Amino acid sequence: MLEILIYGIIIGSIWALVSSGFSLVFGVARILNFAHGTFFVLGAYCAILLYPYLGFFSIVPAVILIGAFGWLVYRGLISPVKGYEVMVILITLALALLVEEILLAIFKDISKSFPSLVSGLVTIAGVPVPTNRLLILGIAVVVIVCLDIFIRRTKVGKFIMATSQDMEASMLVGIDVEWVYSITMAISAMLASLAGILYAQIYAVNPATAFRVLIYAFAIVILGGLGSVRGSIVASFIIGFIQVAISMLFEPRWAEIAALATIIFILIVRPKGLFGVE
Amino acid sequence: MRWLAILSLAILAILPFFVPQSVVYLLGLTFIFVVYVISWDLIAGYAGQINLGHTVFIGIGAYTTALLQNPERLGIILPHLPIWLTIILGGLMAVAFGFAIGAICLRLKGYYLALVTAILPLICIQLLNVYSDVFGGYEGFSVGFGKALASSLIGKYYISLAFMLLCIIATVYVIKSPLGIKLKAIREDEELAEAVGIDVVKYKLMAFCLSAFFAGLAGAMMVHYRITVGPDLFDVPLMLTIILSAVIGGLGTIYGPIVGAFMIYLAKNYVFARIVQELSLNVSDEIFLYILLILIILKSPEGIFEKVRRMLA
Repeated sequence: MLEILIYGIIIGSIWALVSSGFSLVFGVARILNFAHGTFFVLGAYCAILLYPYLGFFSIVPAVILIGAFGWLVYRGLISPVKGYEVMVILITLALALLVEEILLAIFKDISKSFPSLVSGLVTIAGVPVPTNRLLILGIAVVVIVCLDIFIRRTKVGKFIMATSQDMEASMLVGIDVEWVYSITMAISAMLASLAGILYAQIYAVNPATAFRVLIYAFAIVILGGLGSVRGSIVASFIIGFIQVAISMLFEPRWAEIAALATIIFILIVRPKGLFGVE
Repeated sequence: MRWLAILSLAILAILPFFVPQSVVYLLGLTFIFVVYVISWDLIAGYAGQINLGHTVFIGIGAYTTALLQNPERLGIILPHLPIWLTIILGGLMAVAFGFAIGAICLRLKGYYLALVTAILPLICIQLLNVYSDVFGGYEGFSVGFGKALASSLIGKYYISLAFMLLCIIATVYVIKSPLGIKLKAIREDEELAEAVGIDVVKYKLMAFCLSAFFAGLAGAMMVHYRITVGPDLFDVPLMLTIILSAVIGGLGTIYGPIVGAFMIYLAKNYVFARIVQELSLNVSDEIFLYILLILIILKSPEGIFEKVRRMLA
């Protein structure tokens, strides 16, 4: 039981990175980004490719590169079609499939992992936990706290908050809304890529991971309430527990089906999610 | 428009006598693909609901008929059922599933339908692999040569053509009926439709079930056309091909998606496959479809049909 709790928190912290970015973009710009899982996978591949040259520092350029990619995706693909909700979904979905095919052509259908940052075991209340996983939990928590401070305290963060509350009013007071959207997209991509790199240390990524991540991201945002970043962080841990519990008690391949069952259950019982607003 | 339709029908009716067998086979597949596209357009173009899991209905229809024809895979004993009956049962099974999903998601406004339906195909494929001794896993299984639509290729071609025509006529009938007009009202302004007394959820659900029925039938037809069933019928690339066809033709314009379906399916299986083969590229031919879809959306986010109409006006 304690084992499920500890491992659930660790995987939940990775999902928190993924879903907070996904929620942020939806909450601020009303964009449903189906390519979010792609940022996750690309981040992991980028770091793995750069590892032979830079060692563990490859995490930094990988995250920055994917952030830039997120910016470009917004400017190049999403912004021109932003008025058409359906097209935003389709174009990001097409991008996700395109990147998957390209990755498949380059790397084949082989799973890759990123080397562990640290080795060793720590025993917490009788449960042995790899130090690496604790470090991942630490990194994720620090990043999420930083994100919260960034949005609440800095000028850019306040611009983002203002835009999410009232886009037109923000334009009136002189905020460059397009720029805010691009920045939000870049932050979201960076969070997803960092999550991908951390994930690749515990498990492994392959081109098809993008869509598996998307399943969890959707389950989390529906559970937490669409557009609520705090809701999705709480929901991430719940989904993390469910995933670990299912994997330990049954088989890992049932975990995604459990995620779907959670979505259906929430939609029947409480459609706006745990923290959602109408 | 009517003369154009009759002319193209006449060409399709005599075509099998003039073109090679492989083209006849491909055209037969295309007819079934057209039904996928118009049934998706019914819910997306007319009712304005984004269903990203249309392949789930196709797959359920396909696996229903495949398993009923091979009941030993399920471990049950059934009397021998005629093919047409199991095809219809496939359609009904898809309706049952569509009703369940629709009842949960359609009462919620906004993005929920898109989010939930986007996940469903992935989950279904997962389930097919978990119970691979029943469903045949990644490979799928063959339903047996005796279970084909017709023994000759020409026979299959005409059955497939007739099936497409029936489905087009049925769809046009639905669109012209009071139901179709109510659906358009919902698409244009859901709140206004509700205000004038249209039971929005009920009609959306009806459209969803109809769409699922045609998709299930088409999926089942596909199984008996190519004699195999496999997870590709559930998969996301097929979904995107369907969407691309409807978007190229123009959502909610019945004839547009039909033309789009012919263009895309033939381009994908004839032109793109050739390009990949000729250049001996190490990629799937779907890569071209994705690039094409991105370019088309960027160039005309309102849909090609809308753009052409504006240019003509």
